[in-house]
Amino acid sequence: MRRPQRAWLAAVVAASLVAAACSGDDDDSGGGGGGAGGDFEPLAYDESAACGTEEYTGNLAAIEAVDELTVRFTLCEPDVAFPSKVAFSALGIHPSEHLDETDGSPIDNPIGTGPYRLEAWEQGNQIVLTRNEDYWGEPAAVPTLVFRWSQEPAQRLVELESGSVDGIDNVGSEDFEAVESNSDLQLIEREPLNVFYLGFNVDVEDPPLNDETLRQAVGYAIDRERIVENFYPEGSQVADQFLPPGIPGYEEGAESYTYDPDRARQLLAEAGYEDGVDLGPLSYRNESRPYLPQPAQVASDIRDQLAQVGIRVQLDEQESGAFIDNSNTGNLGLHLLGWNADFPDPTNFWDFHFGPGATPQFGTGFEDLHEVLAEAASTTDEETRNELYAQANDLLMEHAQALPIAYGGSAVAFRADVEGAHASPLSNERFASMSVERDQIVFMQSGEPSGLYCADETDGEALRVCEQINESLLAYEVGGVEVEPALAAELPEPNEDLTEWTFRLREGVTFHDGTPLDANDVVESYRVQWDAADPRHTGRDGTFTYFEALMGGFLNPPAEPVGG
Amino acid sequence: MLRFIVRRLLSSIPVLFGILVVTFVIARVIPGDPCQAALQERANPTACAQFNERYGFDDPILVQLGTYVGDVFTGDLGESVRLRRPVTDLLTERLPVTLQLSAAALLIAVVVGVPLGVLAGSRRNSKTDVATIVGANVGVSIPVFVLGLILQYVFARELNDTPLGLPASGQLTAGTIPEPFYEAWGLRENTVLEFLANIDLLNAVLIWRWDIFVDALQHLILPAVALATIPMAVIARMTRSSLLDVLGLDYVRTARAKGLRERVVIVRHALRNSLLPVVTVMGLSLGTLIGGAILTETIFNLTGVGKTLFDAITGRDYFVVQGFTLAVAVAFVLINLVTDIVYAYLDPEVRVG
Repeated sequence: MRRPQRAWLAAVVAASLVAAACSGDDDDSGGGGGGAGGDFEPLAYDESAACGTEEYTGNLAAIEAVDELTVRFTLCEPDVAFPSKVAFSALGIHPSEHLDETDGSPIDNPIGTGPYRLEAWEQGNQIVLTRNEDYWGEPAAVPTLVFRWSQEPAQRLVELESGSVDGIDNVGSEDFEAVESNSDLQLIEREPLNVFYLGFNVDVEDPPLNDETLRQAVGYAIDRERIVENFYPEGSQVADQFLPPGIPGYEEGAESYTYDPDRARQLLAEAGYEDGVDLGPLSYRNESRPYLPQPAQVASDIRDQLAQVGIRVQLDEQESGAFIDNSNTGNLGLHLLGWNADFPDPTNFWDFHFGPGATPQFGTGFEDLHEVLAEAASTTDEETRNELYAQANDLLMEHAQALPIAYGGSAVAFRADVEGAHASPLSNERFASMSVERDQIVFMQSGEPSGLYCADETDGEALRVCEQINESLLAYEVGGVEVEPALAAELPEPNEDLTEWTFRLREGVTFHDGTPLDANDVVESYRVQWDAADPRHTGRDGTFTYFEALMGGFLNPPAEPVGG
Repeated sequence: MLRFIVRRLLSSIPVLFGILVVTFVIARVIPGDPCQAALQERANPTACAQFNERYGFDDPILVQLGTYVGDVFTGDLGESVRLRRPVTDLLTERLPVTLQLSAAALLIAVVVGVPLGVLAGSRRNSKTDVATIVGANVGVSIPVFVLGLILQYVFARELNDTPLGLPASGQLTAGTIPEPFYEAWGLRENTVLEFLANIDLLNAVLIWRWDIFVDALQHLILPAVALATIPMAVIARMTRSSLLDVLGLDYVRTARAKGLRERVVIVRHALRNSLLPVVTVMGLSLGTLIGGAILTETIFNLTGVGKTLFDAITGRDYFVVQGFTLAVAVAFVLINLVTDIVYAYLDPEVRVG
């Protein structure tokens, strides 16, 4: 069913002075915004005038269907991580007609291009997906994929052991051995995409956190191995740099602080504190996170380790919300915090924490580090970037603004006969590439998705299911984080200053409902998220958190409640 | 009889209204904010203002109560703030799960508990009696989650590859999507039909799918047995003591004096009277089972009333807490009514109406 021409669309388009827009609407009411016909009328939204205005914090300036299979994105500011963001599942492509029909919230009936299509979602019970026989790539090996859930690790394990499910997420930390010793099962550790660190606000003078030598002394006083061994599940690793190993730009064998109490005492003496020093409160929040499963225990262990070399701190447990606020406003001196990757690009770690635009969490920061990070963010050449991030590692170690301590691990488990079983660091396991001698594969995760329109979901339980159904322009490689083409036929070509990215779509891709994919579907899938005033900007609760995080902000950000 | 039923139903309205008000108030005095609980990291003043407006949480509490009561009378139990679905939908989906489980558990409890109680009572102080009483005490004392885990371990894990193996979860085999019977019959979908179709065993019979029936039964056994132990023990003890009371009465002595065989005395004369208190216990047990199967539901991964209520309380999902509590209360009232009717049937001295 077609919707009549929408007044809002005409208004928006007219305002943005896009030539093809009016006839584009005609096409919408006639041919359906897509199709293989020769009457394709490209949509375009040019909002570059909004760049730099006070109201608009976003970085997206324009989206344009250049022709039926070409989409061009224009950015306000260069963004080397743009492909890595575009690959994220919150930016999956939906048929524009379906977005219209569902008023922008295909929560329980998503239509995508992925290797599996949604067959049934029995709420509270299971989600059943069936193979997309018309998939553009290699079709899924197993005809049916079922998702179930239980929040109890023991329940998931017994279901796996009894064979009623083929794979489980998040093996309980006490169950690793039970899985490994069972020849019917395979344990697969998930590469950590997070980092736990001890941070300093280097502007604080009293206690003397502004003393670099003193901060370095702290670096040598901490026994990271002991912390990881005692307080982290298997699969966790000692951190030797701020980037976790799964993120591009990770430097193999980076130089880092080692546990050396004598060196710590020596540095303390050099800084003029032979008799020890009081560094004030060591702040943390008692919220278990993958990067820090046992905050209180780790905090007191660090306190005791520091005391060994004569550095005194007092534990300061804060309420979670207040703690984050204090961190963002630079109100914490010595503190324990961590970071989970939003998207697998070094900028999400480096620039966010130590770039010139970072919050005052670590103080004003250091010019040399700013420069290296800015240079790394303005090039796509992998080798150059890696060299620059290696330099950044050295600078961070020298300045000791933050001391990386651990990467928190987790694991999945599968029946031994599941071939191609893998764990993705981003938790988006790709079941189409797994095979088993049964006609279905059942995966039990920790929770039920809240919705299957992942533009407006943040929960990994939802994202994993969406990723089997909907695809983005690009994708992360199976079991990894490298970006590869998906609905785009090849990786995009940026212009020289990285503000224009052009994607060429694959030919002959159809959605699960049979409609062909075209550039307008891409434009509209972004548009409904981008423009908060679009009547289809509804989703499940209308927050579109990931779009905001990835693209910086919305057009027409809501001052008042968003209406449906 | 009809007058009795109508009067009982009318008199339960104030009770239900009271429960409605009390749960409304209790839900709101639990510390914690539904917006924080629902949006978590995404909760900020703007988002919460929108959220509270959407659900009417920014109105004065009396206005909220008034709106809610009005809605309930029109059959609208509100919307879950966490799942974004009408509470009535959740009830049609989840109450049947718990009903089927509770009914199965009660069936096991009665079928095993009553004969055990009779056996023990009729051979007072014998070895059988002692064994039954000890067994009943153990049954009452063993926590459901311990028994549930043991059953799971033994039948789902250790005996998995033998004919005695049973599934670890209470849900149907993954990937089984039984067609609702009303669709198979070409009926128009409505809440009542949907509710009935969500009782797996019933639906399997109605669409004549033996394989699904067996599957549902297999998945029901372990949770039902785990849930049945406590009521079974209570019923066995109650039957025993009640039977002993009755066996001491004059009319039983008369019956024995007439030279009737002991078997006839017990089964024909004593048992019927001694079952009266047992019926009360059964009614109470069923009510408790419906509201309190949370541990069993958690262990066997069933999304029923108990688990939903628990999640709703921890998630400050007011409308779900209120709606489900109300539903359990209604179930209680109905069960009590049925109990009374059965009572009247069993005991001619109790006159209804």
